Amino acid sequence: MRRIAAALLGLAAAVACAGHRSAPAPEAEGRAWIPAWELPPPPPRDAPVVAGGAVQRLDLDNGLRIILLEDHRLPRISLALHVRRGEASVPPELAGLAAFTGSLMERGAGARDAQALAWAVEELGASLAVYSDWDAMGVGISGLARDRDRLLELLADVALRPRFEAAEAERLRGETLAWLARAADDPATLAGWWTARALYPGHRYGEPQGGVPASVARLDADRARSLHRRFFVPGNAVVSASGDFDPEELLARLGELFGAWSGGDPPPPGPPPPAPAPAARKVLIVDRPELEQSRIALAHDGIERSYPERIEVSLLNSVLGGSGFSSRLTRRVRSEAGLTYGVGSHFDQRRSPGPFVVSTFTRVPETRRVIDLLLAELERIAAEPPDAQELRDAQTLAAGHFALGLETSDAVVATLVELDVYDLPEDSIDTYRARVRAVTTEDTARVARALVHPQRAAIVLVGPADALRPQVQDLGPVEVVDPLAPRP
Amino acid sequence: MPARPAHALACALLLLAASAAAGPAIDDPALRTRVTELENGLQLLTLEDRTTPVVSFQMWVKVGSKDESRFTGLAHLFEHMMFKGSAHIAPEEHARLVQARGGVVNAYTTNDYTVYFANVPAEALPLVIDLEAERVAHLDISEQTLESERQVVLEERRLRSEDRPNGRAREALFSLAFRAHPYRWPVIGWRSDVAAATVEACREFFRTFYAPDNIVIAIVGDFDAADAIARVTRAFGSLEPAGSIPRNPQVEPEQAGERRETVHFDLQGPVWNAAWHAPAVGHPDADALDVAAQILSGGRSSRLYESLVRGAEQALSAHAFLYEFQSAGLFMAAASVRPDASVERVEELVFAEIDRLRDSLASEAELDKARRQIEVALVGSPVTNSDLAGRIAFDTITFGRIRPLSEVLDALRAVTAADVQRVARTYLVPERRSVVQVVPPPREGDSG
Repeated sequence: MRRIAAALLGLAAAVACAGHRSAPAPEAEGRAWIPAWELPPPPPRDAPVVAGGAVQRLDLDNGLRIILLEDHRLPRISLALHVRRGEASVPPELAGLAAFTGSLMERGAGARDAQALAWAVEELGASLAVYSDWDAMGVGISGLARDRDRLLELLADVALRPRFEAAEAERLRGETLAWLARAADDPATLAGWWTARALYPGHRYGEPQGGVPASVARLDADRARSLHRRFFVPGNAVVSASGDFDPEELLARLGELFGAWSGGDPPPPGPPPPAPAPAARKVLIVDRPELEQSRIALAHDGIERSYPERIEVSLLNSVLGGSGFSSRLTRRVRSEAGLTYGVGSHFDQRRSPGPFVVSTFTRVPETRRVIDLLLAELERIAAEPPDAQELRDAQTLAAGHFALGLETSDAVVATLVELDVYDLPEDSIDTYRARVRAVTTEDTARVARALVHPQRAAIVLVGPADALRPQVQDLGPVEVVDPLAPRP
Repeated sequence: MPARPAHALACALLLLAASAAAGPAIDDPALRTRVTELENGLQLLTLEDRTTPVVSFQMWVKVGSKDESRFTGLAHLFEHMMFKGSAHIAPEEHARLVQARGGVVNAYTTNDYTVYFANVPAEALPLVIDLEAERVAHLDISEQTLESERQVVLEERRLRSEDRPNGRAREALFSLAFRAHPYRWPVIGWRSDVAAATVEACREFFRTFYAPDNIVIAIVGDFDAADAIARVTRAFGSLEPAGSIPRNPQVEPEQAGERRETVHFDLQGPVWNAAWHAPAVGHPDADALDVAAQILSGGRSSRLYESLVRGAEQALSAHAFLYEFQSAGLFMAAASVRPDASVERVEELVFAEIDRLRDSLASEAELDKARRQIEVALVGSPVTNSDLAGRIAFDTITFGRIRPLSEVLDALRAVTAADVQRVARTYLVPERRSVVQVVPPPREGDSG
């Protein structure tokens, strides 16, 4: 005992010398020290994730918005051009056109055909990608800071001067159809496709972002060129940069490359989906006879990205199924029952209200038991909404995740661009943690009652229909579909 | 309950970090790492970076699936059990407590090591250190928690391996390429073993491998290193070292002839995989093999893309990469075959590109491009605290030191076209390869 005590004294001295912030715990209950989990949490430091004034913004005369964030830690630069429209602005019969257009933009621009463009990017060691989602499209390129001007020229070529060659479009259409056939091998992808269809038949949200074989078969170079002409106009665009650059030099180059760019108004963002979706409970079984594990999704309409109480909703969802190990769903279905490896819930926020989805997977014979647990937790989140402790934990988690999610300057800029796309306040990242802490248990109870509707959720299962149907017949009208069946 | 008596209290023994100067062009933060070795052998790596108010904590335990003996999958199953409670912490509380302080926490297991990590707001670091030490000192494995977690792992196995064509392919490929070495079984284990693993086996595994002299801890981010060293010393210093850790003795015998396996699975797009035996991590030929893989599949200007994806339109993607284990290596090639294409044709095209690497020198332009792509991936990607913590811990375990980026880049830049051809001729030969295809079962009425 003497030896331990002496050593501890030595340690305490060492800690004190080091100018510690947290004093070693006093002796208590016969223990040498008190572990941190028994002490009250230290107050959050809430240090800013971006230094004040570090982000520069301006608009060019043609309406193009520019967002810059210098970061000289590494000799690298990320550049992007986004437009504030995406798949939601495409009619359902051309589903996948924005994604198709983006992929075609990567295959030839300016003076370079597909192979020359790939070589020009890759000989710099750079990465180029055009992405699309429901509400935006973006061209991104990143590489070494010393290649800044060449990267900028490639960005401008791809964003403003894609070639849309007919032969490339043909090749891409074939590839896309093959990808769609292959994607059907993945049960999670199938669950997503058929959940969308169950909620939003006839609306663009009812088809996968990347389209279906029937819609992709209609895509060609002319349609891509036309979409590009309408979406990629300066008043609808934002250029962003993060990394190791001189802002004055960069702005001068951006002015040369994008200052003379002109164009009209962007197309409308697309109509909102009908609500409620679905109007009544239904069960859809996507038949995959060989699977050992069933995919399970419970879904109904949710909220839009600009929903006024979106922070209240995200805290509610964190308690329900959005926070992994801490969530009620994980505790019930994984930790206590051992019925799954992963379960979660999610409000998919788009410009118009997207779906609220609870999803998981389990061994086929246990499917009904899991559905019952999910339905019970959805009922309970309204009947027994988050208590003070649950809400406090969710608030701390949200504030902590927020800082962790903005660790790199690329992540900060991506967040600022996303706020811009949805017309959300520029200072959202400065005010986020305060807004999170202002939420009360009354707030989360209110949104739980307003937004969670297990009684009319669609239930979508992927797995062997023969084994699944008897388990769910009493839950509502059951429809069994072939995973590759053409859609109506 | 396994516990280690508290009589080997540590005095922190401070060693200076690898002090080799970084090359003039790169400021390599990893070189500021402070290395501390506790008296019980635990290695602690601390690296302060105050840019953002977050900290990454990683505990690397030098045990993986290769160390299993009776039950395959035990290292991974055990990793799950580390979240199921200890003397002073209830099951699942570890993760909940860290999340309630705003952090993320999880773990993963590989063939060679097991990593527990937490990324947290700066003020939560003391909690993470104390919780980690608590479970290493006082883990409590009960029949009840093992039973529920076993079911969770079996669901994970269905998800990753049994219901997924790529998982089927990888599992078949490793057990084909390795005959003797424990790399032949999957990290998640065979289903029968996961179903049968016992509480006593878990406890024995814990006693054998979770000793301080088998652990490296890395902490990177916004924290005070002296505080953290003191706290880790206080929390972990009383653990008893193992002295020596038993390891499986198998060495993979030289492969002398191609091996093949076909897996039937109801799918649209077949999967094709091949693997050639290659050196273990740390071998000087690794750089040339990396460059070879980059020439084959580094982007849309690469050979496999131009041949299989764009040219013949047989595959949707094709990749080559060097898979380095601590005591063996595989050079792998994998292709996603188009539903309307032929898996035999895909194989023919991949092997033609492998032959080309052996038969002719890559052009200087192609070589420059490949080296530049690897270089930009090394220095041109955003780096998080977690990335840095992983790098310094991996290097410490693998090389016994932190390799400066400048050294890594110098080795890469030194690779010549002749080197690429030489490693292709040495390793990428038919006698050393194993081939797996996952294809739909023959339909009724088909012959064969």
